[in-house]
This record gives sequence, structure tokens and C-alpha cells, in this order.
Amino acid sequence: MSALTGDTDVFTAEGADRARACVLFLATRQDDLPGIYDASHEAAINGVLDELVAEGWIVSQRCVFDPEAPNVPMGIDTGFTHSHDLAGVFEAPSLDAALAGTVRLEKAGWVRAFKTEWLIGLREFSPVFGKGAHSDHEWAFLALWEWNDQWCEAAVDERNDYDLECDEAFKGDLDHEVNISGRMRFDIAHHWHHLGYWEIAGPDVADSAIRGHERVADFKFTTSRHIVGRIRPLGDLIAPKKTEGEGHNV
Amino acid sequence: MSDHAQKSGADCAWLHYARPRPHWYLTAQADKDALCVSWNSIRKAATEKGAVSQGRFHIRGQHDFETVEIWRFPSSQAAYDHWQALVEARYSEFFAFSNNIGLEMEDAVK
Repeated sequence: MSALTGDTDVFTAEGADRARACVLFLATRQDDLPGIYDASHEAAINGVLDELVAEGWIVSQRCVFDPEAPNVPMGIDTGFTHSHDLAGVFEAPSLDAALAGTVRLEKAGWVRAFKTEWLIGLREFSPVFGKGAHSDHEWAFLALWEWNDQWCEAAVDERNDYDLECDEAFKGDLDHEVNISGRMRFDIAHHWHHLGYWEIAGPDVADSAIRGHERVADFKFTTSRHIVGRIRPLGDLIAPKKTEGEGHNV
Repeated sequence: MSDHAQKSGADCAWLHYARPRPHWYLTAQADKDALCVSWNSIRKAATEKGAVSQGRFHIRGQHDFETVEIWRFPSSQAAYDHWQALVEARYSEFFAFSNNIGLEMEDAVK
């Protein structure tokens, strides 16, 4: 794996022995009518998730920070502030395994319950812990971003200066007790170049930290999309909405 | 599809959407020519390693991008290796892009 940019004070390239592919999903429920998605599909999806774990997938980003943490599928409840209902980040042993795994989940019944944007890429940087980091973060913040035309036109010195300025903001994130699970690149199969996954204590933390990025003009050279949600067991998030026979609309 | 692609167990489509970034139009012709030679050699090397290019098509009339290239690679990793070679040759500095990888549907729509 080649990182798109070099190491900084905050970030270092992931070691080759820990090279992994990653999958981000943004899913919106579409099982509005009874019979589209039921307990049998839910069980089949959970079966595939069990297989993926057995094949070496990491299905909870907590495990990236703490390898001893339970590798139980976790999702992010995003419906309260985004058009999609849930998100999640998995890691797979290889790019091919990542791509095939998304298809297996879809076939098991995921496709019936959700319309989903699957982003598939590779891990770039190692995880970084916030100052005073604790393990009870219940919220996640996702940042997708890409360098804009101005970055692409800028001289190497300008880009390096910019990286150092952004590093100041990332240090500010760590002061907010944000845990950053490294950086992933998605440019192989999307227009977004990168994903950052943060564990945060709540949405206000993301807002405050991002103000730090605005202060150093992070966004002069990037276009980004930010997603905030509460971390919950994926099993709860993919449960069928209603039982067979209930025909009412919601 | 080539025999190689047909035999591959992990045949992977790679769709590459692209448009020139604004400063491409300000780049000296000689520099553009040199870059294009470099990028074309990368494309040629990919085909020599089993990739199959279906061509580059003009789509500006219905899309934010100007062209789409349609490729098949022996694996998604091979597609990544091709893309990374282009990135290292500064292709993504001069062209905005969006990419997709995909596996062939095994079943008819049910």
C-alpha cells in the first residue's frame, strides 16, 4: 500500500504487516412494505457477518484502537441528521475480499432492506489516540474528503506547508480526546480520496474540532463530507422494522 | 473479453471517470505530451499484465466528467496497482476523477 502523502507529526503510514482493505457503508432503509425484509434475511446477514469475522474481518473500529475489544459488528446510527439511516466501517484482509464481502452481504438480504453506497479502499495511516483518550466514546464522526483543483495545482512546498497547518488542527482534535483510526484511501473506487474515522464523546466535539480545521484553512484545498452518528450494535440497526402482517405505513 | 479475463477467478471491472482539472489547460503542450506518454505507457503495461481496456468514451453530455474508461482487471488489487501507478505519475493532479470497481453479477435478476 502506498500512502497518498507522507507522514506528519500526527500520522504515520500503517505498517505493511497491518495492511488492510476497508469498507465504508452508507445505508438507507427501503423496507417500507411488509415482506420485503424479514427475520430470515436478518439471520442470513448475521450469518455472513459471522463468516467475515472468521475470515479475519474487523467489524468494529474499536478493535483498531484496542485489539482486545470484542470484534462484534458495530454500526453508526445516522438517521437523525443525515439522509441515510446508518453507516459503518469494516476492515477486510484484502481489496478483493472487501469487494466480494459487500456482494455477499447484499445477496444475503441486505439489498432488500437498504439502498447502500459501499466505498471500498485501503488503510493508509495508523490509528492515533486522543489525549486522555478513554474507551467509552459512544459517537463516531466520519470525514470523507478529496483534494480540490487548487491543491492539485499547488506547488509541492505549498502542499507541505498546508499539511503542517492541518497537523496543527489534528493536534487540536487530539486535545478534544478524539481517537482517530488513521486514514483510509478510497480513490481506487470512488471520487472521495480519503476517510477519517473518529471516536468522539458527542456531536459537539466534532463541531468544536472542525472549527479548528476551519481556523487553519483546511478546506481551502479540500472538499469534504462529514457524518456524525451514535455507535450502536449493527444487529440492532439492521433488525426488521415490523413483523409480517403489519401493513401500516410509517 | 480476452481469454485471460475469462479465465480469471476474480475478474474485476474498473470504471474510470475523468475530466481535466483547470490547470491542465494552462500546462505547456510539451509537458502535456510527456505526461501523456508516461500515462499511456502505464496503460500499456496494465494490458501486458492481463488487463483489458474496452476503450475511453465521451460522456460530457450527460455527466460531470468528460470521459469514462472501461477496464477489466484480473483482480481489484490489479486495478489498484494500475491506478496507483497513474497517481505516482501525477495523473490525478491533472485530472479530476471518480472510480468504481465491480464484480460480474453471477445470477440473472431474480
